[in-house]
Amino acid sequence: MDVIVPAIPGTYDGFRATLRAFIAEHKPTLAWKQRTGLRVPDRAADVELLRTYVRAIHDAGYVLDRFSAEPGDPHEQRILEQELVAAGVPHVLGNPLVAGALKHFGTDEQRSTYLPPMARGDHIWTQLFSEPDAGSDLTSLQTRAGRDGDDFVVVGQKVWSTWAQWSDYGYLLARTEPVEGPAGISAFILDMRSPGVDVRPLREMTGTTDFNEVFFDEVRVPAVNMIGAPGEGWRVAGASLAEERSNVGGAGGVDPVQRLVGLARRHNRGGRPAVEDGAVRQQIGGFAARSRIQRHLGQRMATKAMKGQITAADAPLAKIWFSELNLEMVEAALALQGARSMAVEGDELTVEDGRWQDAFLYARAWTIAGGSNEIMRNLIAERGLGLPREPRGQS
Amino acid sequence: MDFGFGEDQELLRSTTRRFLTEHQSLADVRRSMEEPDLFDPVVWRQGADLGWTAMLVPAEHEGGSVTGQPLVDLVVLAEELGRELNPGPFVPCNVSADAIARFGTEVQAKEHLPRLARGETTSAWCLSGDGSPEPSAVEVRASRSGDGWRLEGVARYVHAAADATLLLVTATGPESGVVNLLVPRPSAGLTDRVLTGLDLTRRFAEVHFDGVTVPGAAELAGGWAVVERCLSVATVLQAAESVGAADHLFTATVEYAKKRVQFGRTIGSFQAIKHRLANLLIELEGMRAAAHYAALALGDGLPDADEAVATAGAYVDDAFAHLAGEAIQLHGGIGFTWEHDVHLFVRRAKVNQVLYGDGAWHRERLIRLVEAATAPSGGA
Repeated sequence: MDVIVPAIPGTYDGFRATLRAFIAEHKPTLAWKQRTGLRVPDRAADVELLRTYVRAIHDAGYVLDRFSAEPGDPHEQRILEQELVAAGVPHVLGNPLVAGALKHFGTDEQRSTYLPPMARGDHIWTQLFSEPDAGSDLTSLQTRAGRDGDDFVVVGQKVWSTWAQWSDYGYLLARTEPVEGPAGISAFILDMRSPGVDVRPLREMTGTTDFNEVFFDEVRVPAVNMIGAPGEGWRVAGASLAEERSNVGGAGGVDPVQRLVGLARRHNRGGRPAVEDGAVRQQIGGFAARSRIQRHLGQRMATKAMKGQITAADAPLAKIWFSELNLEMVEAALALQGARSMAVEGDELTVEDGRWQDAFLYARAWTIAGGSNEIMRNLIAERGLGLPREPRGQS
Repeated sequence: MDFGFGEDQELLRSTTRRFLTEHQSLADVRRSMEEPDLFDPVVWRQGADLGWTAMLVPAEHEGGSVTGQPLVDLVVLAEELGRELNPGPFVPCNVSADAIARFGTEVQAKEHLPRLARGETTSAWCLSGDGSPEPSAVEVRASRSGDGWRLEGVARYVHAAADATLLLVTATGPESGVVNLLVPRPSAGLTDRVLTGLDLTRRFAEVHFDGVTVPGAAELAGGWAVVERCLSVATVLQAAESVGAADHLFTATVEYAKKRVQFGRTIGSFQAIKHRLANLLIELEGMRAAAHYAALALGDGLPDADEAVATAGAYVDDAFAHLAGEAIQLHGGIGFTWEHDVHLFVRRAKVNQVLYGDGAWHRERLIRLVEAATAPSGGA
């Protein structure tokens, strides 16, 4: 038993140094304030700066495996991930999950047409899955794509699409077959500049705009833009959703438990530093344990994946563990600030420029997005433990 | 990375499971639990032949492990023993063997380790008066007596003391700090009283020392460091035992939810039940990850071993107790009966929660480690 990630040989030091210097030289200074979570720039100028940055990295020959048909050198890939994350600005523009779908289900032409510009930041993608009446219950989605000659004609509405306001293409699920449920769904590549596409940015409880509503008024999509076969959309989406769930929470940066200790030192409770309070110590000690276990669950999952032993319960389990621990920790962070926790970004009384208040409000995105935690619990129970499926209601 | 068990360890698991099914299953434990003594020396020696007490004993003293990671091997055994709520002195024997191998003299090692490995000696650890792992809670006092030691006082909540032939006794020394002594049982002035206990599948005792004398050579040098090491090993092994017990109970509970019919459907089809079972699986997997990593880190001496052990101590037994309580609730009325096994798991879990430092103790330890790692500026 071990958790050893093979060391990167010293012969790669040059690669890393060159990359790091390259990133430092090309990294843009954004007007946009970065926050925790999957956040989207709020200024067109910043999007252009990011495109230029991503293009520069790509054109210098640095391409992530997720966008290429052939896997690169594993050590170089790890260094690339590490350095791009350390740079602290987005290096993947838009929602890249369609890449997995194209790799597994796309045609050669689709792959060669869409993967390289996605890697280069030339094409920003959004995901067009959820609908107002089909969130957690995604297979009941009602957006339709009816065949008309060489095209499909799309009518309907999507919601919770990140990056849609800046997107060039959409990864669309729509109903094409005359059957209810998953068997009626197909997956498409949709040009977001097609006539009839209307993107309306959504302002969320955070006050920021990270998601959008997207309306389709008889939007024509060429039939060759279908990913996979008619009625195969649910399978196509399944692959990418599983990836989204297991990727959730791979944030990095300073350990949030250490941040909590910092807050507990600086804020008082009962007239003395909160870190001296027994209840606070117990709470943070408990977070520390669960936070470490989150890492070990990841190590178990990686091992199971390697041995082909992943079960349907694994990704939902990891998503629930992360999102609920995250929520509790940010709630505790606000509690530690006492009355001062009411001050947010922009107020002179605010703590750490309001990062905790934003993280608190955003925490609900993690417990809901990518399949609400209630649906995750259904998946664990039904697919992981083999309990009977939920009956579908009549409406 | 391979954060899982190897083939040899899986073989150890299946061999152990087969042995326990044949010789000391939960049904067997249940049959003997209302008798005064649960310990079966014959089964224990057969278990010793299978390596139950040999893994932490060096080869020159008749020990040996399955892999180069003896503590991980022991996790496999602990999980299997936990599944059947085994009453045996698995944790104290391995804790003592480890302490003697690590801190003992050559003479002590020769005298005790082969006999522990063979299962001829069983041991118990007399830690403190209230069960907590604090120097101030140690109620046995050791004073010099000629070349040796004289012991007065009491240790309580000692697992398997009444069956043991060797006691590892933590006592306050004549100067500051503690001394750890290897005391044969029986000895003059040594008496014990078996507790009427909550856990029906194990026996705990109160051990009295009224002028017990041992030679100077009985001291296991190292003071509190010995206690720390014993605590870490005990925490890891007990966590693994809890994982095995919780896994068994959880599987039985899921099976029950698939069979039990009310309102014309299996109760496992109700979302209220499904979500509770999903929560329990999440906890169980968390317990497993914590226990396995703690064994790996402590055994391999990884830099974060202390944090890893404290994490297991902070999470595992509390989660086991929660899972066991939920198992009762999910079984409904049948789970409330004496005949059903669920309450035996609840009892085991409640007692595991308070042994070798409770969850609160380990959480405090963990935040101290985090504090030490957090720069004064506060990590921001």
